[in-house]
Amino acid sequence: MLKTKPDPRVIFLLVMTFSTFGLLIREDVVAMAGLFVIVLVFAGLLGVQLRRIFGRIKRLMQILLLVTLLRSFFTPSGIVLFAIADVPILTTGGIAMGVLVALRLIIFIIGAAMLTVYPARALIQAMVQMKMPYEMAYMVSIGLRFVPQFAQEMQDSLIALQLRGVEIKKLKLRKRLSLYSYLLLPTLVSSLQQAKELAMSMEMRGFRALPSRTSYFSLSIKAKDYAMMVWVLALATAISFTIFNNNFYEIIMTTIYTA
Amino acid sequence: MGDFVVTIKDLTFKYTDRYRRSSFELVVENFAASGCTAVMGENGSGKTTLGKLVAGILRPTFGQIFYNDMDIAGLTLAQIGGQVGYLFQEPSRQIFAPKPLEEIAMPLELRGVCPEEARAKALEILEKFELSHIVDSVTFTLSRGEKQRLAIAAAMVMQPKYFVLDEPTTGLDKARRQILADTLKKLQAEGMGILLISHDMDFVELMGADVRQMKGGILC
Repeated sequence: MLKTKPDPRVIFLLVMTFSTFGLLIREDVVAMAGLFVIVLVFAGLLGVQLRRIFGRIKRLMQILLLVTLLRSFFTPSGIVLFAIADVPILTTGGIAMGVLVALRLIIFIIGAAMLTVYPARALIQAMVQMKMPYEMAYMVSIGLRFVPQFAQEMQDSLIALQLRGVEIKKLKLRKRLSLYSYLLLPTLVSSLQQAKELAMSMEMRGFRALPSRTSYFSLSIKAKDYAMMVWVLALATAISFTIFNNNFYEIIMTTIYTA
Repeated sequence: MGDFVVTIKDLTFKYTDRYRRSSFELVVENFAASGCTAVMGENGSGKTTLGKLVAGILRPTFGQIFYNDMDIAGLTLAQIGGQVGYLFQEPSRQIFAPKPLEEIAMPLELRGVCPEEARAKALEILEKFELSHIVDSVTFTLSRGEKQRLAIAAAMVMQPKYFVLDEPTTGLDKARRQILADTLKKLQAEGMGILLISHDMDFVELMGADVRQMKGGILC
């Protein structure tokens, strides 16, 4: 683990680079696995609690498996491992595609977790110093601050419902989905209420009273941060040329066009 | 006095999730409660944690909790709901449906009761808790006192024998407290045991509860 954390702006660049690669790598499972390893190393260096993150990913395992199977079914290639009446269900190429999608998702999750090692104030300041309007930077930060609270509220609602004799796990999918829509309602009402109160409180304390805002706390990029940025960009360029076989520009344009 | 007894034996509890106090430890050596018991103590002393442990929402790190002679370790929350009800400190968190009638009928329907029967049962419960006047109201616009009574009424669908109430008098004026006390005394007269988690000595005296003190995670 690094003794001193880099400037948050470096990590923003890092996460953007990894996420972009995660989107651009479309067929090469080995490249995606390589990216996954690089992300793991950086996350470890930053002190991201990987065991906890993987604990959470384990809960998404069913969805990841489903995505892998669907991908395998819809993009059959390679050796057929399992087929029903000549329709290939599981193929080696299909499974590889499924694994690629699952790895992509995990890379995004770990990338987001890399930002959580910084205090919210440092992230806001980083965004403001990256010329993002401070109103937006605060919105992002406040949104993140409320995530655990909403999770707790949702959890309480689920508990209250189970204490009324509803075995959620035994419900049929249709009923379970309608139930979740019910559970979202109190969380939505409470979030709107809290947003209203918070907005009033912020305005009473002079938020947005002036077009710009100064801050005593400021981030300064040091030589080692610049070095890390240059290193990340160099690595990104090297990976691009290696993986995409000089078709990088074409791939970017195809991705933009598809999006 | 209710016949239902909650017993705790050599219990220790520690939070493991990152958003909670990892240094906090709750210790209860021996505790047996029936009738009306109040747990009082300072903020952060562990009263709510104890209430959640009794209601099976949190599970002990070590030790056991019994409802009469039954260890609750293997019970699901849905099974516990038939024995113990729980009122959250913030009643809005346990009200989901836009209408009070739906609020009570919906879990019944999810458990397979036919809609007509569920509706009739819900009306009956609302009447019992003197909430018939809010049948057509929107639940999110109800007053705190009404939300609390609706949450208690909704929990009563399961006919629990014991009820845990976490700070039930927060935000209630004297008249609303009296209404709540009357409702709880009515339930107590029907044989229900009550565990009050509270700071409010007046309310605890009004309920005639046995008082236990909680200090720094230890039940005295």
